[in-house]
Formats: sequence, C-alpha cells, structure tokens
Amino acid sequence: MDRAEKAPTYVIGKRPAELDTEDIDLTPVRTYWQLVRTRFVRHRMALISLFVLLALLIFAIVVPLLTGNEYTHAQLKTIGAPASLSAPLGYDEIGQNVFLRLAKATQTSLIIGGAAVTIIVVVGVLVGSIAGYVGGAVDNVLMRFVDVVLSLPVLFIILMIVSFFGTGNVTVVVIAIGITGWTLAARLIRAEFLSLREADFVQAARALGASHLRIVLRHILPSAMAPLIVAAALGVADSVVTEAALSFLGFGISRPDVSLGNMLNNAQDYFVRQPFLVLPPGIILVLIVLSASFFGDGLRDALDPRQRIEASE
Amino acid sequence: MVSYIARRILQAIPILLGMSIIVFAIVHIAPGSPVDRFRSPRVSADQIASLIQRYGLNKPLIEQYIAWITSFVQVWRPDSWGYSFLDGQPVIKTFLARAPATLLLTGCALLATIVFAIPIGVLAAVKQYSWTDKIINTLATIGYAMPSFLLGTYILFIGGVYLGWFPLFGMQTLGHKNDYLDIGWHLVLPVTSLAIQGIAAWARYMRASMLDVLHQDYIRTARAKGLPGRTVIGKHALRNALIPIVTLLGLTVPTLIAGAAITEFIFTWPGLGQTFISSVGTRDYPMVLALTMVGGFAVILGNLIADVLYGVVDPRIKY
Repeated sequence: MDRAEKAPTYVIGKRPAELDTEDIDLTPVRTYWQLVRTRFVRHRMALISLFVLLALLIFAIVVPLLTGNEYTHAQLKTIGAPASLSAPLGYDEIGQNVFLRLAKATQTSLIIGGAAVTIIVVVGVLVGSIAGYVGGAVDNVLMRFVDVVLSLPVLFIILMIVSFFGTGNVTVVVIAIGITGWTLAARLIRAEFLSLREADFVQAARALGASHLRIVLRHILPSAMAPLIVAAALGVADSVVTEAALSFLGFGISRPDVSLGNMLNNAQDYFVRQPFLVLPPGIILVLIVLSASFFGDGLRDALDPRQRIEASE
Repeated sequence: MVSYIARRILQAIPILLGMSIIVFAIVHIAPGSPVDRFRSPRVSADQIASLIQRYGLNKPLIEQYIAWITSFVQVWRPDSWGYSFLDGQPVIKTFLARAPATLLLTGCALLATIVFAIPIGVLAAVKQYSWTDKIINTLATIGYAMPSFLLGTYILFIGGVYLGWFPLFGMQTLGHKNDYLDIGWHLVLPVTSLAIQGIAAWARYMRASMLDVLHQDYIRTARAKGLPGRTVIGKHALRNALIPIVTLLGLTVPTLIAGAAITEFIFTWPGLGQTFISSVGTRDYPMVLALTMVGGFAVILGNLIADVLYGVVDPRIKY
C-alpha cells in the first residue's frame, strides 16, 4: 500500500499500538549520540577494547584502594618468592608484591597519561581555535609555531626537560609530555574551525548578535569535538608509552613510586635471576596501547556523522 | 623542481631558527647553572667567576644565544659546537665518532625492514581477508603496539640470556677491533628489535597502499586484457603501490639518526642516541644542545626528502 495515499492518522493521547501500525514508520528518531552508540557497538574489536580498558581501570583503582601502601612493603624473606594466593604474581627482587605493584603502576601510568592528555587537549584547543577562528596573521604565526614544535625531536626534548627540571617528578613528566604533544590536536581543531566558521548555523548565531566567545564555546566547539575525542583516546596510550620509556631510561618514576616503565627498568637488572618479572608490566602496556588504538578506531568510525546506518540493521 | 627545493630549503631556515631558540631556552631556563658542576671546596669563587666570564654566562640571554648560534652553524670549525663538559673533547669530534655506529645500526635495520615488509604487505593485500592476511595483520598490529623498549628488552632476554646465542651488549668484543664478523654478531639483536617494529609499520602501509591500487580501473583493464596475474601484480600494481612507500623512506631520516636511542640504550650500542641519553643524565649541555639540534635538523631534512622523492617517483605530481 502506498504510504502517500493513505496518510496515517495520529490521535493525541492514544497509544501507537491502537493505530494502524502497518502504515506508520515506527523507526524511532535517534539522536546523534544514540547513533554513535549503535555504530560503536557494531565495531567488535572496539567494544572488546572498551571492556579491556574498563577492566584495567577497575584493576588500577580498586586494588590499590583495598591494599593501601602495601605495595611498598619489602621483606628479605619474600625476595623472589613464588606466586601465592596473596601474591598472584610472586615477589620481585627486593621482596615486594608484584601484583600490588602492578596495580599501583597501572594507576600511576594511567594518571600520567590522562593528565598529559588534558594538557594536550587544553593547549591544542586554545591554539587551534584561536588560529582557526581569528585567521589571518594570527593563524599564520600560530601555525608556523606549530611547524616548529612539530619539527622538534620529541624524545630528546622530553628527556631534556625531565632531566633538567626534575628527574622522577611526576608533574614535570606530565608537563614535558603535554607541551610537546599538542600539535596534532591544534591542527585538528583549526581545520574544524576553518570550515565551521562559515557554516550556516554559525552565521545565524552571529546574526543574532552572539559574542565571539559564545559562538566559539557554544556553537563551533561542540561540533568540532569528534576528531579531538579520537585524538585524545589515542593520546592517552601514547603518553603512557612515553612515560614508560622515560621511566625505563631512568628519568621518570623511581622507587618508592612505581610505574610500568619503572617496573620494566628494575626487572631488566634482574634478568638472569628472575626473568619473568619483565612480563607483567609489558603485557599491561601492550594491552593499553592495543585497546586504546582499537577503541580510537571504533570511536572515529562511530563519531563520523557521514557513516549512516540503515534502520533495518 | 630546483626552484621548489630551493624554496623548501628557505622555508626550513626559520623553522630551524625557531627550534634552536626553543632548545636554547630549555637549557637556559633550567634551574642551576652550567658552572655548578665545577663548584667544590677546592675551586675558589674567583675561578668560578672567571669561568662565568669565559663562557659569557653573565651576558644577556639574547647575546648568549646569538653567540651560540653563530658559532654553531660554522660546522667546519672543530670547536664550533663547543667542548663536552664530560671529557673536554670537541662535541663535533664525539659526534663524528659516534655517528657511524648509529648509521650502521639504523641502516641495517632499514634494509631488513624494506626487504621483509614489502613482500609481506603485498602478500597480505593480494590475499585480502584470507588467513594469511589475518595472521599478518594481527602480528603487525601487535608489533606496532609494542613499545621499542619492551621489544628490545624481550629480544635481549630471549637471544642474549635465555638462548645465550648473541652478545648482551656493545658493538665489539674486547680485543676484536674492526672484526666485521664480530660487529655483525653484535648487530643481530638490536637490528632485529628495530626491524620488527619497522616491518610491522611498513607492512601495514604497504598492504593499504597495494589494496588502494588493486581497486583502480587500470588494474581491472590489465586483468581484462588477459595479462597473467603475476604481471598485473608485479608490474602494474606494485610499481604504483610503492609510490607512497617512497615517501615513508624520506620520513625515516630522523629515525636513522635519532630514532634508535632507546634501542641503543638497551643494547649499550655506542651510537648517538646512547650518547644523548648519557649526556642528558650528566647535564653535558654542549653535547645535549648539539645532538638535539641534529635531531631536529634530521626531522626537517626528512620531510624535505619525502616531498622531493614523492615528486621524483610520481610523474603526475608537478611543482
């Protein structure tokens, strides 16, 4: 039956079930975020990765919360002790509980990754939105600055900053990773701003007399967030790896604090006697990187409004 | 083409200058003074003051910067990069002494990467969605996700400790100077470590690039006119799929010079990266400044080479 010929009658107050349902398009109208969720859930690896990340997060929050600073307890008699119920991964070269240290290390690494990405996003959004919105000479100067930062040998610069301004200081590590890593975010935001600046809804807001700040914060920025969210998800993994590299080289976190890279560094010194100490922090690290990259890929596809899904699917 | 290259080189100069300002600023904003290392009860305040005078540390920062950068660019002078705080040798001399070891290591790794990655990538693309493709993809993803220090540590453990087949550190066994077999023996583990990462990344690119080409119309034409599959893949597809890979070659230039730092550190390979890590730890400022500048220079050079190579191999691109 052609729908145009027999238009369905909607009666206010009546449930749809009492209507002639065959003629009504019952596909619910879905909001952008509902569509994003549907698209994301269909991405199997991304979904698995999300669960892995959540599991790691719970591990990193709950275990240290329950055991407090027990991870720092070192005893002569437990040096190299094998796995047991209270220490599922055994004890390390100075008699500390590897499982508890691993949980604390995951926590430290994720906190550093999250904090560094916060800096990356804030600086990236500031530089990118100013360059994209103001344009002209300001844009030119800012983008040349981005070019310069992009040409820096990143690992060397981070090592320099961390070594000169405070080895082992978490804040310095976070700042070093943050201020060298914001260029991609700035470029993404600038590109979005350049195209959105002339969009109809922005013109409309401008015509209504909205201030520049309001236009940027309320109208452009929310629409420009999608690529930034993806970059941030991948940035957390990158930052965790960079921190681990720093600690591994002896410039980042060191005892009594613990991070994944620091655990690897210690484990490398005791290769011959306890070879398997290098495995737990390495596995966690690879899990973080892999799941963050799958999660980021899935998110990128899900957030892309051009990717349509049909109602039947 | 020549004018394009000239223009790109001119554009690189302000970037290099900007970079030198940032690097110089980091060193000079850092707490503590370069002469602090000489302070001890045996060194009088007068001597410290004369050191400050001699290094020009009492001058305004801008003057210091100009003095440093004008000296830095005169690479033909042996003292242009200053003297190492650690051993008093000219920085340039140490740089030239260490560079060959790094280039040997990264060059071998790059060679191994190209030799393995291209066939693997092509194989995965030609057999798309097959088990071969899936296995290659999974391995490449894991290799890509594996941080270099992790991979290096595991390889050192397996090859050096567990199996005990290869030496654990250094480039030469004591007493074996310039013994090529011995150096090759020491190369195996660090090169494997670098190459696995390279292969993982390059094979993925190669696969994507090859798939892109295989879906083009001219490939369908080549198949349609009855050319054997080997010719279509080897001649028509591969040559075009290699174009983006050539760009990658340019972008590896910084990796060749500074990218092996962590691997060098793990295998105590006496190259530039290892030198940088130890000099940053001992605050050997002239060495740190010089190597960071070289690293940044490599990044810019790599970008330039990538762009130029792209134009050379792809006749469709005009400057």
